[in-house]
Amino acid sequence: MMLQGLWQNLDYVASVVLFCIGLYTVITKSNLIKKFMGLNIMETSVFAFIVALGVVDGGDAPIMGAGAEPPFINPLPQALILTGIVVAVSTTALALSLIIRIWKQTGTIEADELREIE
Amino acid sequence: MIRRALVVALLIAVAVPLLLAMSQLPPHGSPDTPPNTHVSPYYLEHGAEEGGAENIVTAVILNYRGFDTEGEVTVIFTSMAAVLAVLMLAKPDRAPRVAPTPELPVSVVVRFIVRVLAPFIAMFAIYVILNGHVTPGGGFQGGTILGALVIALSLVLSREDADALLPRKPEHLLQAAAPIAFFLVGMAGLLYWGEYLYFPRDEAQRWIGVLMLTIIEIGIGVGGACVLIRIFRAMRTE
Repeated sequence: MMLQGLWQNLDYVASVVLFCIGLYTVITKSNLIKKFMGLNIMETSVFAFIVALGVVDGGDAPIMGAGAEPPFINPLPQALILTGIVVAVSTTALALSLIIRIWKQTGTIEADELREIE
Repeated sequence: MIRRALVVALLIAVAVPLLLAMSQLPPHGSPDTPPNTHVSPYYLEHGAEEGGAENIVTAVILNYRGFDTEGEVTVIFTSMAAVLAVLMLAKPDRAPRVAPTPELPVSVVVRFIVRVLAPFIAMFAIYVILNGHVTPGGGFQGGTILGALVIALSLVLSREDADALLPRKPEHLLQAAAPIAFFLVGMAGLLYWGEYLYFPRDEAQRWIGVLMLTIIEIGIGVGGACVLIRIFRAMRTE
């Protein structure tokens, strides 16, 4: 029963797998840039999941005009995720500049070494 | 070893409940799931006339949820301000000084290709920005292409030529183009129709709505591109 549900929702399962890969990276890597890459992978998995929620079988892109026929894909998740991606880019830029600052101040971006400096 | 076991245990503890939830969700792609049955059919049916944009995603972003997007362009602008604050106010570093890397000569092939493609990339970016309401695209996407173009050019050009692409003087104003465009269009709505960020809905005034959408798209495109370029430059000088 559960396996059947998972098989039907393979797209959602893919985003769970991606989420776990990101979480693994965040936990195990000590390099701050790698940690942040993991966080970005987790973000991407959530985006992929929400966009996948709006998919309709056989649906077209939600663009009206000549020759557009229903069914259409749900435009709402796409619009929300478009803005979400831009905010993700902003936070990434801010985090990277903080990492640059840490490196300038301490000369390292390895989390273990930073803990010893403290 | 214990560490590794703990990591695996944590991952399983995260993955199993998520997978259980995923297996309970309605089948992927079915048209009658909750996300597809509430407000989206209305948008799909009326978005083209009411929103002034044949691309419903644009209609949702700029018209139905314009407040969201206005807040969000402010987030972009604020993040740029924060990046600059973090990087520029840095004290003289205590870090072991690394010898400044000499500027590597750029490969002739790369320089030639970027220079040849630049006008076409610029044209594509402008097309994407201006046609955001009828075709896939819009301000965010076009602005990213424009910013990437300038970043690619600054990688192959000399420092002076790259800085000349976007001089300091207009840059300061253009960075805020997206919030400013939103504010102007919103105030126009407030003054004429008595409602902030109002878009006219009748058929006769449709062109006004399209014009307002285009102004916002241009603002988002130019502003987004300038913010990307500024962040890139701030990080390059490090």
